[in-house]
Amino acid sequence: MPYIYINIILAFVISLIGTLIYRSHLISSLLCLEGMILSLFTLNALLSLNINFALSTIVPLILLVFAACEAAVGLALLIIISNTYGLDYVQNLNLLQC
Amino acid sequence: TLTLTSLIILTLPITTTLLQNNKTNCFLYTTKTAVTYAFAISLIPTLLFVQSNQEAYISNWHWMTIYTLKLSLSFKLDFFSLTFMPIALFITWSIMEFSLWYMHSDPHINRFFKYLLLFLITMLILVSANNLLQLFMGWEGVGIMSFLLISWWHGRTDANTAALQAMLYNRIGDMGFIMMMAWFIIHLNSWEFQQIFLTNPKNTTLPLLGLLLASAGKSAQFGLHPWLPSAMEGPTPVSALLHSSTMVMAGVFTLIRFYPLMENNLTIQTLTLCLGAITTLFTAICALTQNDIKKIIALSTSSQLGLMMVTIGINQPHLAFIHMCTHAFFKAMLFLSSGSIIHNLNNEQDIRKMGGLYKTMPITSTAITIGSLALTGMPFLTGFYSKDPIIETANMSYINTWALLITLIAVSMTASYSTRIIFFALLGQPRYPSLTQINENNPYLVNPIKRLILGSIFMGFFISMNTIPHTTPQMTMPPHLKFMALAVTLLGFTVATELNNMTHNLMFKQPSRMHTFSTTLGYYPITTHRILPYLSLTMSQNLATTIMDSIWLEKMIPKNLTTMQKTAASLVSNQKGLMKLYFLSFLLSITLGLLIAL
Repeated sequence: MPYIYINIILAFVISLIGTLIYRSHLISSLLCLEGMILSLFTLNALLSLNINFALSTIVPLILLVFAACEAAVGLALLIIISNTYGLDYVQNLNLLQC
Repeated sequence: TLTLTSLIILTLPITTTLLQNNKTNCFLYTTKTAVTYAFAISLIPTLLFVQSNQEAYISNWHWMTIYTLKLSLSFKLDFFSLTFMPIALFITWSIMEFSLWYMHSDPHINRFFKYLLLFLITMLILVSANNLLQLFMGWEGVGIMSFLLISWWHGRTDANTAALQAMLYNRIGDMGFIMMMAWFIIHLNSWEFQQIFLTNPKNTTLPLLGLLLASAGKSAQFGLHPWLPSAMEGPTPVSALLHSSTMVMAGVFTLIRFYPLMENNLTIQTLTLCLGAITTLFTAICALTQNDIKKIIALSTSSQLGLMMVTIGINQPHLAFIHMCTHAFFKAMLFLSSGSIIHNLNNEQDIRKMGGLYKTMPITSTAITIGSLALTGMPFLTGFYSKDPIIETANMSYINTWALLITLIAVSMTASYSTRIIFFALLGQPRYPSLTQINENNPYLVNPIKRLILGSIFMGFFISMNTIPHTTPQMTMPPHLKFMALAVTLLGFTVATELNNMTHNLMFKQPSRMHTFSTTLGYYPITTHRILPYLSLTMSQNLATTIMDSIWLEKMIPKNLTTMQKTAASLVSNQKGLMKLYFLSFLLSITLGLLIAL
């Protein structure tokens, strides 16, 4: 397969590992999530350009819309956590209360 | 002749009001002498009845006919009304003479006498009524006169609220009365007593419930009782006439009138019994720690009314009636002597500020002692002939033991609070300011009290000797039951004397919870009088101001959404939030899967 695809997929895999492994700050996980979305977007755009299928150019746009919503939700969660605890350390999330 | 004489009795007081010479001073004396002559004349039908035992019904003026209901002016002169009328007239005569002394300095004394006379007339209408409409007219009449007389000193807010209370509680009872009238007119097509008793319907629970509610309102049974202690805001003659001898008897009297229907209905009898027992105990408890002499006597009236209800509940209406008649005497006398004390101590009503009147007011203290002894049922005074048979019959009949026990406890408390009055008002050292002049020399004060003393001593004997017993009393019973009434009374006396003597040596400490319960009349007026207005006012305030905004702006979507989601999420999820562990396991499983596949 073309080298550029492997490059972008590698970027995606590294971001995935970054999402799943994080030490203390929750915001690093969210950052890597954004990285995943970025690499996916680039992959989709390149793919639809190389295949020469005009209707598939809408796919990256839809991906972008959903990514924006999800980023907003993630940031809202972050804000609530840092409202109650002051920091976003993951070890603070040990009280199961609503 | 019976008919003519009884009609003359009723018209004599009426003509005095019709003359309307209010401005002259001799109106008072003509009123008093009219009542005196009415009393004398009313003795004639009574004695005729005693001799011949013939009841009479007078039905003379046909008023109107509504479809099939014939309304006429009819009087029923049977044992109950013929015995009660002379007693009511005698007591009213004594009270009018007393109020010549008591209300002497009042500028509106003519109006006072007019009100008393109107009250007497409506009471006589009530007692002698043969159909329910006439009885209702008398009923409403005594209610209105009670309102006017309680608020006699209408500049005082407490008097106005007390009169309103009396009116409203009576109104609640009137609902029951009207329900009873409606039931009778629908089912039996008549308001005459004869027809009601002849047809003897089988399902009388509903109208008798209405009747019970009506007498509970009029006679201050538990639940509708706060108006009677508050009604002591009126002048003492008013308290003596209305709220001890006559008006509060109206409820019990109507219940006694309906005894043929109540004989057949055990449910109503049990209800009456329990209501009377609760009333007598509750008001006796409240009377133990009151400090106003009139309130103690008012609560004592309420307790005796409960006792009458208990008697009706054990199916002995005649005993209840005799107790009613005898009770009128000594209660009126207690009120009159308390009025004498109050006026002589310059309007002091608190027993903590009286004392030592034993030597300075001999006639009044004699009256109080005899009245209290008669009230507690000392043998061979008046109360004995009515109260002792009640207790004996209650002990020997098949009734609720709890009601019986409560009644006995209340009887011993009667002795206790009577002793308390005697101890604080008469004995000991004087606790009033020393410049008050104590004077008992006015014949208007002394003669009524003397007459009532004679009545209190002898009337029980006379009434019980001259009436034919309608139910045979139980004559044989075990000695411990026979002496029960006497024993509990003596117990009450001794306990009260001991406690009262101890008050000379006690140090004042915070009143216990039981004491505040008793002093504030059982918290009943405080809670019920406030709770209804409070609830309705808060409801209307919420509706008018806060409900619309808070619902539409906040609670409709945003707050509701968050609470719904939160409760749903916390209900369903069972995670522990170990984020890093979950992510690491995810990564590990993916790498393992890739390694195995490749």
